[in-house]
Amino acid sequence: MRTIAGAVLCVLALASIEAQAPPSERRGVQTRVEGSSRAFKTPWGDPDLQGTWSNQTLTPLERPAEFANKPVLSAAEAADYEKRLLRNNDADLRNPGTRQDVNTAYNNVWWDRGNKIVADRRTSLIVDPADGKIPALTASGQARAERERQIASSNVEEHATSWLDFDVYSRCIIRSGLPRLSTGYNNNYEIVQTPGYVAIFQEQIHETRIIPLSTQPHLPGTVRQWLGDSRGHWEGDTLVVETTNFTDQARGSIFRNATKNMVLVEKWRRVDDRAIDYQFTVSDPETWTRPWTVKMPWNRIDGLVYEYACHEGNLSMEHMLEAARAAEKQPAK
Amino acid sequence: MPHARTRWASVIATTAILIAVASLPQVDAQAPGTRSARIQGKPNLSGIWQAVNEANWDIQAHEARPGPPQFGALFSEPAGVGVVDGNEIPYKAEALGKKKENFANRWTQDPEAKCYMPGVPRATYQPFPFQIIQGTDTILIAYPFASASRIVHFKDVGESPADSWMGWSRARWEGDTLVVSVTNLLEDTWFDRAGNFHSDALRVTERYTPAGDNVIQYEATIEDPNVFTRPWTLRMPLYRRLEKSAQFLEFKCVPFAEELLYGHLRKPAS
Amino acid sequence: MRPRIPALLFAVALCLIALSAAAHHSFSAEFDANKPIKLQGTVTKVLWINPHTWIHILVMKPDGTTEPWEIEAGTPNTLFRLGFTRESLKSGTVINVDGYLARDGSHRANGRDLTLPDGRKLFMAGSGPAVDKDK
Repeated sequence: MRTIAGAVLCVLALASIEAQAPPSERRGVQTRVEGSSRAFKTPWGDPDLQGTWSNQTLTPLERPAEFANKPVLSAAEAADYEKRLLRNNDADLRNPGTRQDVNTAYNNVWWDRGNKIVADRRTSLIVDPADGKIPALTASGQARAERERQIASSNVEEHATSWLDFDVYSRCIIRSGLPRLSTGYNNNYEIVQTPGYVAIFQEQIHETRIIPLSTQPHLPGTVRQWLGDSRGHWEGDTLVVETTNFTDQARGSIFRNATKNMVLVEKWRRVDDRAIDYQFTVSDPETWTRPWTVKMPWNRIDGLVYEYACHEGNLSMEHMLEAARAAEKQPAK
Repeated sequence: MPHARTRWASVIATTAILIAVASLPQVDAQAPGTRSARIQGKPNLSGIWQAVNEANWDIQAHEARPGPPQFGALFSEPAGVGVVDGNEIPYKAEALGKKKENFANRWTQDPEAKCYMPGVPRATYQPFPFQIIQGTDTILIAYPFASASRIVHFKDVGESPADSWMGWSRARWEGDTLVVSVTNLLEDTWFDRAGNFHSDALRVTERYTPAGDNVIQYEATIEDPNVFTRPWTLRMPLYRRLEKSAQFLEFKCVPFAEELLYGHLRKPAS
Repeated sequence: MRPRIPALLFAVALCLIALSAAAHHSFSAEFDANKPIKLQGTVTKVLWINPHTWIHILVMKPDGTTEPWEIEAGTPNTLFRLGFTRESLKSGTVINVDGYLARDGSHRANGRDLTLPDGRKLFMAGSGPAVDKDK
């Protein structure tokens, strides 16, 4: 009797597994476990991060002085802060005749600077160090930062000798090295996975980061890439990616004036249908006195990621160089 | 315990297990270094692939040709048997002049020289390894030259709001062949270095058919009533890069093209 | 009306902070903050390209002749996600441009503030084709 009962229980148990198996047309196995990242799996059993995402957020990287001892805001404080940030980001506000107004450039409709602070109401994206500030720079880190600050506040670009006086952004080589923070617009990504790889398409500038899920060593140190060289693996439901082999060959090619020996470790974990928890830790003993860590959400977008062909349409580079040549022909004032 | 009941219990349990396992979705458990031939019942086209032919120099049959003379034989061009069905590109009479003009000026006018994205189908047969990442409802194709990428949609994504360098790609399966319809391609790309060109009316239909684990038979049918008198097709095998160390690498060529594009705007030496 | 200077200065400060924290487009290397310009013209062509949309207009001069101008705007991708397409700004549309002149003296300006003759902003959210939210 016991063996038949056992067999029936076995059948019932297997039948219940079969009932949860989805039709093959659906994206992946999704059970209705709220908030559990274990629910999202690809057909081959990897955690599923696929989809279109944005890392746009109003929360600043570093904790502002007004919140110096306040790592998290109350709901009321957060609502008020969000309103203020939205008003201050409103590009329809003008300050005519100033350099700042020229640099604001367009009406608000063209921008996508974020419309929310992070859901957990932290006052900084930096979570380590606990004061929410970038750690102190080393002496050489300070020297690099100061050199870039001098270039950026000078008018070398207005009298550019050549394209080399501009940074990677204006040259349309990359628009921000890794790791990427929220920028003025097109903060969008599309993640596609296949057995053995995770690929992240970045809208700016239409490049695909291919992350082999592999223990192969990194490229040799003589091979540097603008987006570095990535190797990933799963730790439970979290994708952990280490990126090295950055290049410092151009102005702005490395995150925050770090050196090409910077090591970036990123983690992605699917939270629910609409969000991924993303964090990164950057280490560069030649730049920062200690590593530091940022957490930010990647939120689902309902729209598509579009082609952002930058170099092909970079009329601005011609115009800026033409302007520099025209300025040379002006009689000295 | 009577043998008959034990035996029946085993039969029931075993049958149930077999039914359940057969009904589960195709779970491809991935040991490192292994690859599954199919995903969700379809061929898995993922991998690092490369065309091995002379099409990027000239998609038609051609003899060896000199390159820019100051480089000797270094950038000269090998002969090729061509990849176009019937070896004929059916230009309208009025379009042939433009092709000849392109060819005469190719070393400065080829969009490849400017590090512009190569468009479709040229990206497929530029002689560099590219990578296909086949996901569950989207395919990403990453090409190294100019970091060109394509998002290929199985979902209905409607019409493209504007034209683009790498086009708007919509895919479906026909048996084991991936068929990709590419529309909304800008007119600014060429088919090769020989100046073969098209208008913004171009539509490309690609077919990727696996022939064993390590070869994809690729074909692309070109339709452009502004430039050609009829559709025409090019085809070639794509070969998997088999070395264990094979890896998609960057070919960000903007810094290599800036002198060509902006050199005339550099500050003159005093 | 008393100008809201403190709010404006706060906005200036924050904008400067936001812009200096990341690499940026050097607008002031291309356009002259000391040369504001106001134009009205008829759209003849729109280049829906990145990094900037270019709106070509024909400006009617007081003497009755016309002058072509190129107006630089933002990335079209943001507009596409709002449901706008290349059909959304047709040739023949009259627009007002409040911006800054190109530094090289050409007939080119930054489209700092783009409006329709009735005062509405060009590409008001919600004024484009309906976006299919179920996509």
